[in-house]
Amino acid sequence: MSNELIQIETPFQFSEENQRKFDKLIQRYPVKEAAMLPTLHLAQKQAGYISPAVMEHVAELLELPVMKVKDVVTFYPMFFEEPVGKYVIRVCYTLPCALRDCKLVLEHIKEKFNIDVASETDLAKGTTPDGKFTLLKSECLASCDVAPVVMVNDDLYKNLTPEKMEEILDGLE
Amino acid sequence: MVQERRILYEHLDVPDINTFDVFRQYDGYKRFEKTIKEHQPEEICDMVTQSGLKGRGGAGFSTGLKWSFVPRDIEPRYLCCNADESEPGTFSNRYVLEKNPHLLIEGILICCYAMGISTAYVYIRGEFTLGKRMLDAAIEEAYRHGYLGKNILGSGFDLDVYSHPGAGAYICGEETGLIESLEGKRGQPRVKPPFPAVEGLFHKPTVVQNVETLCNLPFLMGQGVEWYTSIGRTYGDTRFDPPQSDPNTGTKLYCISGDVNKPGVYELDLGLTAEELIEVAGGVKGERVKAVIPGGSSAPILTHYELECRLDFTSLTLWKSMLGSGGIIVMNETRNIVDCLLNIMKFYAHESCGQCTPCRWGTPWVRDIVQRIADGEGRQTTIQRPRFGIAEGGRWGDTGEMEEVYEDLDLLESVANNIANVDTMTWNTICVFGIAVSWPAVSYLRKFRPEFEAAIREGKLVTLPVEEATVPPEENYAYQQRIVPRLFEAPA
Amino acid sequence: MAFIKLNDLEVEVEDGTNIIEAARQHDIEVPHYCYHPGLTRPANCRMCLVEPHVFFPPAGKVVPDRQLATGCTTTVRTAPPDRKLDGKYDFIVRTDTPRVKKAREDILEFLLVHHPLDCPVCDQAGECDLQDFSYNHGSGKSRYLEVKNVPPKKDLGPDVLLYSTRCIVCTRCIRFCDEVAGTGELGLIHRGSHDEIDIPRDHDENPLRLLDNKLAGNVVDICPVGALISKDFLFKSRPWFMKQVNSVCPGCSVGCNITVDYKEDGLYRIKPRFHEDINQHWMCDDGRLGYHYVNSEDRLQIPMKRVDGELVPTSWADALNLIVEKFSETDPESIAVIGSAQGTNEENYLLGKLAREVLKTESIGLFGREPGEEHKFPQFTIDADKNPNTRGARDMLKLGEDASLTGEALWNGIANVKVAYLVNGAPERPLDEGAKQVLEAVDFLVVQDIFESDVAQLADVVLPGVTFAEKDGSFTNAKGWVQRIHRAVDPPGEARVDWEIIQQLAKRLGGEMDYHFAGEIALEIAENVPDYQDATHQNIGAGGVNIERG
Repeated sequence: MSNELIQIETPFQFSEENQRKFDKLIQRYPVKEAAMLPTLHLAQKQAGYISPAVMEHVAELLELPVMKVKDVVTFYPMFFEEPVGKYVIRVCYTLPCALRDCKLVLEHIKEKFNIDVASETDLAKGTTPDGKFTLLKSECLASCDVAPVVMVNDDLYKNLTPEKMEEILDGLE
Repeated sequence: MVQERRILYEHLDVPDINTFDVFRQYDGYKRFEKTIKEHQPEEICDMVTQSGLKGRGGAGFSTGLKWSFVPRDIEPRYLCCNADESEPGTFSNRYVLEKNPHLLIEGILICCYAMGISTAYVYIRGEFTLGKRMLDAAIEEAYRHGYLGKNILGSGFDLDVYSHPGAGAYICGEETGLIESLEGKRGQPRVKPPFPAVEGLFHKPTVVQNVETLCNLPFLMGQGVEWYTSIGRTYGDTRFDPPQSDPNTGTKLYCISGDVNKPGVYELDLGLTAEELIEVAGGVKGERVKAVIPGGSSAPILTHYELECRLDFTSLTLWKSMLGSGGIIVMNETRNIVDCLLNIMKFYAHESCGQCTPCRWGTPWVRDIVQRIADGEGRQTTIQRPRFGIAEGGRWGDTGEMEEVYEDLDLLESVANNIANVDTMTWNTICVFGIAVSWPAVSYLRKFRPEFEAAIREGKLVTLPVEEATVPPEENYAYQQRIVPRLFEAPA
Repeated sequence: MAFIKLNDLEVEVEDGTNIIEAARQHDIEVPHYCYHPGLTRPANCRMCLVEPHVFFPPAGKVVPDRQLATGCTTTVRTAPPDRKLDGKYDFIVRTDTPRVKKAREDILEFLLVHHPLDCPVCDQAGECDLQDFSYNHGSGKSRYLEVKNVPPKKDLGPDVLLYSTRCIVCTRCIRFCDEVAGTGELGLIHRGSHDEIDIPRDHDENPLRLLDNKLAGNVVDICPVGALISKDFLFKSRPWFMKQVNSVCPGCSVGCNITVDYKEDGLYRIKPRFHEDINQHWMCDDGRLGYHYVNSEDRLQIPMKRVDGELVPTSWADALNLIVEKFSETDPESIAVIGSAQGTNEENYLLGKLAREVLKTESIGLFGREPGEEHKFPQFTIDADKNPNTRGARDMLKLGEDASLTGEALWNGIANVKVAYLVNGAPERPLDEGAKQVLEAVDFLVVQDIFESDVAQLADVVLPGVTFAEKDGSFTNAKGWVQRIHRAVDPPGEARVDWEIIQQLAKRLGGEMDYHFAGEIALEIAENVPDYQDATHQNIGAGGVNIERG
């Protein structure tokens, strides 16, 4: 492990619109640190993932040591430290969905794209080579009545079967 | 058959109820208006106490009592609405957020008015993107119509409500974990005391309430304590009923999933039995019930012998389980309990925040043991009971009986109990996540031990017929203790 | 004061004391890892569980509480009269019940499931809390059959290595960087059993920041296991082979209390020692890692004199005779004596006595290291004055605020002096050209030093003195604390303890000095120097004496 500090070549900046959103966000809390999660969500939406440049910028905005940002980013599974596919597929794998054969759906996606399930520390193995899809197992998505469920980016798909999943994935550009 | 009583969910399916105008047509915000016109904040707290409303988030703690702990002389105070619904098997809050967000805002208004709070944060789990969008839109509308902001309806009462997204950590549903997460840190629960009511968000007094609890408030205030306490099953005189001194009033949004014909959220009076609930949900899918998880995946499991148990906060405690978040998961005869436990343990090992020692390293250990058993690699030895005598061949030697010992089952129970002891209900962890791990582990093992033993013996998962898989009632540690001791009966 | 029942003892402790400290005050050990008295208390290791007792109304008596409580976060307070337990106690707690012992054993089992069995190669072995508590409270066998986590070894910064496998995630180091240093370089990464301490890195493990603040070394001290290791001490010695003395850091005028670990062949490490009013539990890395000069091969080991422009070794007798000769033939007004802010009170006192009573000169000055930078941290300060005893030396040499031979004025002041006796003793003290010219102009310059420094190179006679680790004495820090330093190792070669050299000179000049040890001089200081009446070695002890507190 090297001891050489990395240099950030292209610093991250919020787009104008996101900067406006951030300025509004930060006013909601008596301490800046509290805006951490919404700010990271905002930054991830813009940058695709939380790169070191994003961490540095967020740390600067919230007036924190950069480690505090890294600390939070690694704790929460929704933040990615590596680039992910255009579509992030989260297959719920907790008991109620497991009782409703979510395994079939998961296996189907794995076979279809010939990828593994991504882990939080290795997203690359669950991402298609064209960078379009990333496959993740997810903990309960709180839709157990319509199990099995899959979230693709922000959209929830219910009562899935491998066939339905196929249809949905084919419909995604 | 038990009938649904829709109160919170009454107008859930009205088209566009998420808009202010439609919500107004169905009494929206009128209960809040009535409240600030007719009641002083202290009166509201008294009413909530009298109503017997219990927190719907999981612990079932009396809401009025919780409010009474909040010191009134420290400013500012905060409300955190817990919308981090992530207990497996629970999905009632999602519908409120997505379909009827104004109801939640009205509940927040009443709570904040009663507690003199002027800032409320709604912590929504990160995956609820639709719910957050709907709530944000509703908050904006409420501001526009003067129901949020400064000097609401000319009453001099100010309130700001903000939504705050989580990012996929189950532990942020624990109230102090939620507070830490809201402060922008890892969602690691805090040591209690001090409780959030005294020192919570930004080290100020903080009320943390579940969505469902807050949604009860408009109806409680609109129709009065008497009406509210009349809801809830009247208890017969069976010996299994909880004492009247600890009433379970109001309705509960029971979320039922798994092997039932009509899974979904059913709003029912607190106190119906598990059997009745399964009937309401269209009956079991498959031939018969093998097991029921009564309160989210962390609740101890019920066997088919225990379905007469009433699903309310007090009764389930007496049955050594809990209502928790009201997420009921039904398993039929085709399910393998070891496999189900493995799924749940994987969940907890993944979601442990890693802050304190027993949970950080105990939870994955429990998962690994279950995994080993499920893989058919569980350890089993035959030992000979010590008895000295004349053995075969006329020599002195051990003559004790041979006995099968399932070492890994003992280890599993011991490790789980070391995280949090199921029998004494004590935990060595910082928060109750510890007991949420050991409860399922120990209860599944004790109540369905034959199936665990079979997995070890056969070297693979074996699904036994229901009767064979289940420990009979007389050997069930929980079943024997379900009777209400008369000692605790309230004096007449 | 709260009156509590602690096991079978009835004791009084101050309000607000936690159970760990209350027990410690009465020699009862409550094992703990995450708790450190200088940091906040997250109660995450769960090792310090104790059994509080509470009044249980239905039973009408005091019973053990249902849950065990962490000793670190449980504080005792005086209870109102109607809330006393058993009529008189403010608190009742037991640390020795079977329940407590079982809990400790369980927690230790969890702590050890991923811990490697590498004690034989671990620097911490011998002073490791995990070893000690496992021995005292553990079960002695492991039931863990699964694969252990093996997180990587990490280089955190200039002096700190992290052996992640040994880490028990008590977060003391993180809290130290957040609370005391205020720099926040450390944090946790990942979650649950994958938690690791780390500095911020990108996804390829390259660091964005290093643990390079000036207090970083403290994280090694507070690490209860062998996870954080100082590169300086790595594989150097087993703790049990080293001896230890108390001392004071000579790095700046803060005067951090330290312990010096040494063997016969030199110093091995320096660690901070608790002092409530001076350094609490901490010290800076400049002081911690600044001891190497003591072990240096380049130390002066033998007196030297100038022959034909070159410094050549000579004997003590020859060197001292040469000086006596020069002093005797010089007019007292042309003699200057310059003490050292690096020296002890005792040697400066003798030097002052030599100047005034024997040499009859009032040209007395003070020499020392140049001021450096001041560093302020939320709970710690490193002083700009890089000498440990500026204040003490001034008091001993009776140099008032307007003394002419100190600081920059020194060079003007000795410009016309014919013979000068200058004591240095600083590990490094470069001279600028102006100062060099002044010293070159002095006819006969005697320098007492530890290295062939810039000053020594200009001398006509060089006397080998010793460092703080080779002598006894006392320093007075900037806030008036008089504190003891103790001799750890022997002086190198023929080098002699400074006050002995001064005494030898005085004797040869006909002065009356006959001290046998530094403490004797301190007794005289207590009599003669204002405010130092309490500063005898006996009184100073391990905690020091403050001369400002009259």
